[in-house]
Amino acid sequence: MARIRLNQVSLDYPLYGAYDFSIKRRMLDRLVGDADGTRTIRAIDNISIEASSGARIGLFGPNGSGKSTLLRLVAGVYPATSGRIEIEGEVMPLLGLSAGANLDFIADDNISLLLRISGRRPTPEIIDEIWAFTELDERMRRIPLRMFSSGMLMRVLFATATAFPADILLLDEWLSVVDEQFAAKAEQRLLKLVSAAAIVVLASHDQGLLHRICNAIVRLERGRVVATVPVTSSSTARAHLQEICA
Amino acid sequence: MSAPCEPDRVPSVLHVFKVYYPDLYGGTLSVIRDICAGVKHAFAASVLVCSNAARPRQEHLDGVSVERVHSFGDVLSLPVAPTYPVRLWRRIAAHDLVALHAPFPLADLVFAAGLGGSRPLVVHWHADIVSHAWLRWLIEPLMRRTLRRAEAIIVSDQALVARTALLTEFADKCVVVPFGIDLSKFAGAPAVPAQHGAAPPLVLACGRLVRYKGFDVLIRSAADQDFRVWIVGEGRERPHLEQLIDSLGLGDRVRLLGSLSDEELRHAMRSADVFVLPSVTAAETFGIAQLEAMAAGLPVINTSLPTGVPHVARDGIEAITVEPGDPVQLAGAITTLLADPERRRRMATAARARAETAYSTDNFRQGIERVYRRAIVAHGIVNSARPQRGGLLEPVRIAAALAWSDMRHRYVRSLLGPFWMSIQMAIMVAVLGSVVGHFSSAGMLSHLPMLALSLTAWTFLNSVVLDATTALQVSASLIKDRALSPIVFLLQCCFRQLLFALHNASVPLLLWLLLAPMDVAGTLKAMPGLVLFVACTFALSLVLGALATRFRDLKPIIESSLTLAFLASPIVWSPEMVDRGSFIMRFNPLTHLFAIWRDPLTTGQVPAASVLYVVVVLAVLGLACVAAIGHLRKAAFWI
Repeated sequence: MARIRLNQVSLDYPLYGAYDFSIKRRMLDRLVGDADGTRTIRAIDNISIEASSGARIGLFGPNGSGKSTLLRLVAGVYPATSGRIEIEGEVMPLLGLSAGANLDFIADDNISLLLRISGRRPTPEIIDEIWAFTELDERMRRIPLRMFSSGMLMRVLFATATAFPADILLLDEWLSVVDEQFAAKAEQRLLKLVSAAAIVVLASHDQGLLHRICNAIVRLERGRVVATVPVTSSSTARAHLQEICA
Repeated sequence: MSAPCEPDRVPSVLHVFKVYYPDLYGGTLSVIRDICAGVKHAFAASVLVCSNAARPRQEHLDGVSVERVHSFGDVLSLPVAPTYPVRLWRRIAAHDLVALHAPFPLADLVFAAGLGGSRPLVVHWHADIVSHAWLRWLIEPLMRRTLRRAEAIIVSDQALVARTALLTEFADKCVVVPFGIDLSKFAGAPAVPAQHGAAPPLVLACGRLVRYKGFDVLIRSAADQDFRVWIVGEGRERPHLEQLIDSLGLGDRVRLLGSLSDEELRHAMRSADVFVLPSVTAAETFGIAQLEAMAAGLPVINTSLPTGVPHVARDGIEAITVEPGDPVQLAGAITTLLADPERRRRMATAARARAETAYSTDNFRQGIERVYRRAIVAHGIVNSARPQRGGLLEPVRIAAALAWSDMRHRYVRSLLGPFWMSIQMAIMVAVLGSVVGHFSSAGMLSHLPMLALSLTAWTFLNSVVLDATTALQVSASLIKDRALSPIVFLLQCCFRQLLFALHNASVPLLLWLLLAPMDVAGTLKAMPGLVLFVACTFALSLVLGALATRFRDLKPIIESSLTLAFLASPIVWSPEMVDRGSFIMRFNPLTHLFAIWRDPLTTGQVPAASVLYVVVVLAVLGLACVAAIGHLRKAAFWI
């Protein structure tokens, strides 16, 4: 079964750009006795979260509260500075808005490349099905992704990423870009993924979206968990959605 | 959850078994067909089987895609299909789940060899190997390996788990999913047949005419009695059974009806008073036939086998259970039942109720689907628990895919087609060749192929290192947003430039063909040197790539150093033009890195000292690589 367990995890983000880390600077620091002047910012501060199969967790908080960083920690992009991270299951991270797409390549090539990146062999049928899910014009398949609007791009990337069941799906500011009709379709697909014992973690500023999709919302502020709210008000709506699905 | 709420890609299951419809008919087969058909809205079913009949290799039967591998016939109840394991291995990757219907040793060969590990495996345990028990010592280790690798083992009854030695070892993987049958097929059959008096009472039995079904016991039990026996089914034992009927003089009361259509079978069930399942060995794991009889509202007589048989129809409730292989006891049970219509009626009602509640197709289907789903998810978890998603090979595969697409995108929108890079190389060779020709006394033309090859190699090294310094920044989105390992992208540089180098290599190859005889032995000797060259290049690019990403001022330094190295090393000019023993020549690693494959090509001799030097350099670079890979864990902070 899929499981995420963060135990008192902290992350100090080194600020390479902002301060001088060069050899010259280090030598000078050492000479004047200002040793170990590491400039870091605490991006994640002592967070403990547990989630198991069927969880849909929403991360909510102002800009810079650590939502994306937390997702990247779970994905294994950043090594934690302290604490324990245990992940069971295959993680499918879809974080930044371009999520690994090469904008110079045409849509079809991007789909097959992204499938290969996630370890799947792209066949024409699978790509056809992914394209059918996007509901975009057939002619768009031969067009480089840079000509796509951000919403269209999201459709392609979302359809590709969720074409195969993943155990843990990490989404950052995703469904907010696509139009309502596709968002509804994407929500259904997410619910289906979760019904196949997956965990979805979704970071967003859109509280309405989080309430519709998630069954728990974690509020972050300055890298700390301020509150964990189980979503109950929408549970009837969700049950309704599942009914439609079944 | 049971029905998809959108036209989505359903996971596909590859069913692996000996035979499939319509090559043969039988209980296990009808179960497999029911599984394929029952879960087909949730799992697309494909079947890979053997066949020695002249049937199409590929066909669709009721929405199930069937592929048959040619078999030369059966030996020891097993098809002789030498290509089956290979075909199976090739097919596995195209499906999301493999369902093996055991026992099938031919497929065990594949799984026991550890092949096909990329997909989850579910074993449907239909029966143990009983008929050729002496083969066990050979096959059991294979089956054990298969079961060890399986995510789940589906059995039809709890008794099988407890009574099968091999399954007790894997009891935690076993899931009991009782077979289900389509009750509507048998609905409408009256609980007790009406007509009586004219004909003697009728005893019915169904199944393939094979040894373990124990029909000979049933025939023997009919001797000196007055009931009739109908046996439905076809099989190898037919001549033997016919002979037995004749020798006992039962031709007028005992009949072998052969295969019947569903309609005819229903009619037979309606006419019968008692159903008998006289099976004699544990090969009968469940007894689908008795379940069908129960659904049709017939009282059952079965045997006390160590399997699910006496559990499906329970002694004293839906059935009378007798010792297997005992015709006297069987005859006693039959006559007892036939003499007691009230008891028959009670048992029939109980039988129908049990078939409806415990063995419905819905339960069966949902049970199978649940196991399949869990297996797919559980397999993903086990896979990702391995380091770096699917082992060390995964980054290499991804890097290769990325490099390949890079190359393909060099072609698009190009004016000169795939080989514009080669033309560039040709021009470079022509210009530099004519310049160097003035320095050298030797014939210019004979040096051209080596010059072209050296330039190709240098271009490779130069581009790999330069690409590596920016690779991580260029691929920042894949590293930060898709959590791919940074090493993938340094590998990608190496692979991409290797592909480009192969394009460029057309120039030296052509020159060689035109201008000089190619020394095949020397070329072979140069190969290990070229491999070392590529290995050193990759190691260097890994170390410098990591450093240049971390410290941004390193990139210009590396660029200028590369230019300097190009001029200071014997790449364009040959070592003979200068004093080979000079200090700068001897300690420049590039001299040796080129010498290890150039010397065999020109002189046919492998320079031992240079090889040693390069191996030492590679070892040092290897250590630096280990350190760099350790630091690359933090690469996401740098980009």
